[in-house]
Amino acid sequence: MVKALMVVLLVVIMAPLLGGLLTGIDRVLTARMQGRVGPPVLQPFYDVLKLLGKEALAANRRQVAWALGYLVLIIASLALFCLGGDLLIIVFTMAFAAGSFVLGGFSVRSPYSHIGSQRELLQMLAYEPVLILLALGVYLQTGSFMVKDLFHQSQPLLASMPLVFIALLIVLTIKIRKSPFDLATSHHGHQELVKGITTEYSGPYLALIEVTHWYELVLLLGLAAMFWTHPLGAGILLALAAFFIEMVIDNICARLTWNWMIKFTWTGGIILCLINLGVIWVLRAGGV
Amino acid sequence: MAKMISTVMSNLTHCPKTRLYPLEERQLPPGTRGQIEFDMTKCIFCSLCAKRCPADAITVDRKGKTLVFNPFRCIICESCLEGCPKDAISLFSHWRAPVTALYEQKYQPEPGQAGD
Amino acid sequence: MGRITAPFGPQHPVLPEPLHLNITYEDEKVVGLSPAIGYVHRGLEKTAEKKEYPENVFLVERVCGICSFMHAMTYCMGIEELMGIEIPPRAQYLRVFYSEISRLHSHLLWLGLFADAFGFENLFMQYWAAREKILDLMELTGGQRVILSSCAIGGIRRDLNAEQIDTAQGVLMQTEEELKRINPVMLNAYTVKQRTVGKGMLSREDALLYGAVGPMLRASGVAQDLRQTGYAAYRELGFAPVVETDGDSYARALVRVRETCQSIELARKALERLPEGEAAVKVKGNPDGETMQRVEQPRGELLYYIKGNGSKNLERLRIRTPTFANIPSLLKMLPGCEMADVPVIVLSIDPCISCTER
Repeated sequence: MVKALMVVLLVVIMAPLLGGLLTGIDRVLTARMQGRVGPPVLQPFYDVLKLLGKEALAANRRQVAWALGYLVLIIASLALFCLGGDLLIIVFTMAFAAGSFVLGGFSVRSPYSHIGSQRELLQMLAYEPVLILLALGVYLQTGSFMVKDLFHQSQPLLASMPLVFIALLIVLTIKIRKSPFDLATSHHGHQELVKGITTEYSGPYLALIEVTHWYELVLLLGLAAMFWTHPLGAGILLALAAFFIEMVIDNICARLTWNWMIKFTWTGGIILCLINLGVIWVLRAGGV
Repeated sequence: MAKMISTVMSNLTHCPKTRLYPLEERQLPPGTRGQIEFDMTKCIFCSLCAKRCPADAITVDRKGKTLVFNPFRCIICESCLEGCPKDAISLFSHWRAPVTALYEQKYQPEPGQAGD
Repeated sequence: MGRITAPFGPQHPVLPEPLHLNITYEDEKVVGLSPAIGYVHRGLEKTAEKKEYPENVFLVERVCGICSFMHAMTYCMGIEELMGIEIPPRAQYLRVFYSEISRLHSHLLWLGLFADAFGFENLFMQYWAAREKILDLMELTGGQRVILSSCAIGGIRRDLNAEQIDTAQGVLMQTEEELKRINPVMLNAYTVKQRTVGKGMLSREDALLYGAVGPMLRASGVAQDLRQTGYAAYRELGFAPVVETDGDSYARALVRVRETCQSIELARKALERLPEGEAAVKVKGNPDGETMQRVEQPRGELLYYIKGNGSKNLERLRIRTPTFANIPSLLKMLPGCEMADVPVIVLSIDPCISCTER
């Protein structure tokens, strides 16, 4: 119990530091890919500190409550992940967190925020099936939904589920809001939706959302690292490689529309997962 | 898309194309219209420059022998240079540094100078 | 989902110019819109009546921050016609050179902004990096990066020396190479085509009906370019307009991509054939009478009406800029499109609101 509490405490403190640093590295590398110098690596922290120092203005109290809900639920799912918890519960907690974020967007009257929230819902519609199939794949492979049981595997998950990993890369693109899928907040693009779902957040509340994104980034990269648990260093390298691939994809694509995203994830992502799971199942049946 | 990947990779492995401006200044080519200066040893206060200035940045008091130049109205078009009969105005190819308060430059004939 | 009315502009991240469109969406589909302009009216036409006519060259240059040279040139052409001034051939060729590098930098700017409109930041940066070389060239030859101030009544104020011509040729050649690397992404990348092909259709009939000008008109299959009239030295240099027939945003991007190559070619040709001699003639007297001048700007037809009365001040100066002529076509194209396509379509007319409102 004490050990579990320690882990949770460590996650709460360390994850945003790691996430912020990764975001900073992302900004520098993206700038370099575009031929720019880019900001200092610690720029995301400066941004958040500055936002924290601003006047706390919210459109209404519900908005703040939903933003806090988003943060708490993401921390909860990350803590569950680090404690080696149930993958299905982690996925559903993440969905709840995203739902909270969406409701925060709907709680104000800005049309940009509303359209951004609708797009966030569509994004959830696009990536949730892939995440659930991922959990299912883990179950098929290890006979358990628990993350900690993955460490008893002799063979990395990547070897048996390479297609699922590719599908996870698609999910990552959506979740860390990169082109071609930065639809809901237009995180980098900021064109048609101004700032989409986060339009009406400002000051410390925007900082809250930013920090939540850092937690979320760590969690998502954790999911990628899960594909190679022995040794864990290889998993971390795998996650960083996935992160780098996301940056490259961001820099070689235009932002596409939500219709295209749904079509692509439902055909591409889900079919990749299903084929992979089918192969595992057939091999298993053949082996027994 | 393959073309873009090669661009991305070459950018990543080469120096950035941008400059950290206030730290690193670019050498401006000669003839860049940066700012103008008046040479009071040559000026005869004929006020032709003030007349030609499209932005009304120069006012000349012919009697009082003073020339007031407002650098923040000046559009550095070189009209005054072309109009000056004594070549008393010269152009420099470096930009005026940013300031926090506006000011005017007042020119008067230097002592011991045959201004007339 | 019900109807949502969301403003596009006057402050909008995709378009740093104050064009206001109040757009009504139904399920992210545009169903209605009302435009409004008038946020940056500066009264330049009236100011021009107060200033003396040679000073106005610098004033009209500031109508637009991008195609400043073309404004000055059109004004000078008008005054020269009124006063019966024949400008030397060297000045004619230099005017072509300056016009074409202005067009080049304007089109590169637009291609970058267009890439930004569909969320392709990297392409945006690549185009602007290429444009930076052209701005440096403008600084070297004209003295400043955007407001060249090199055109004057009677010719060109800054003649080029042999060394500058060499550098200019080199920069133009380099830019051509650079564009060979960047342009295929704009024209062939799958994600880009997804966002531009078939968006903002404008048929040939509609383009003529709504009075579209410039690349808009040429992308709809009408071969009209005022450079065909042969002002400055275009007649001697030989010129054929770039035409595409699809009439969508992709065709408009394609027209501009091809025009950048054409501009490089024309500018280089102008430098190669640059005649010897004076670059400007002395001007005496005052303009009298009225004239109309038309010039092909990067965005289309630019029209100047100048009326002089024999004094140093003009009686009337009227400017019609291409964006103003293209706004009706924009209003035709937008209804029925997706919300995500609004920035792409608005950008595809290359709006320059400062020009429009003067």
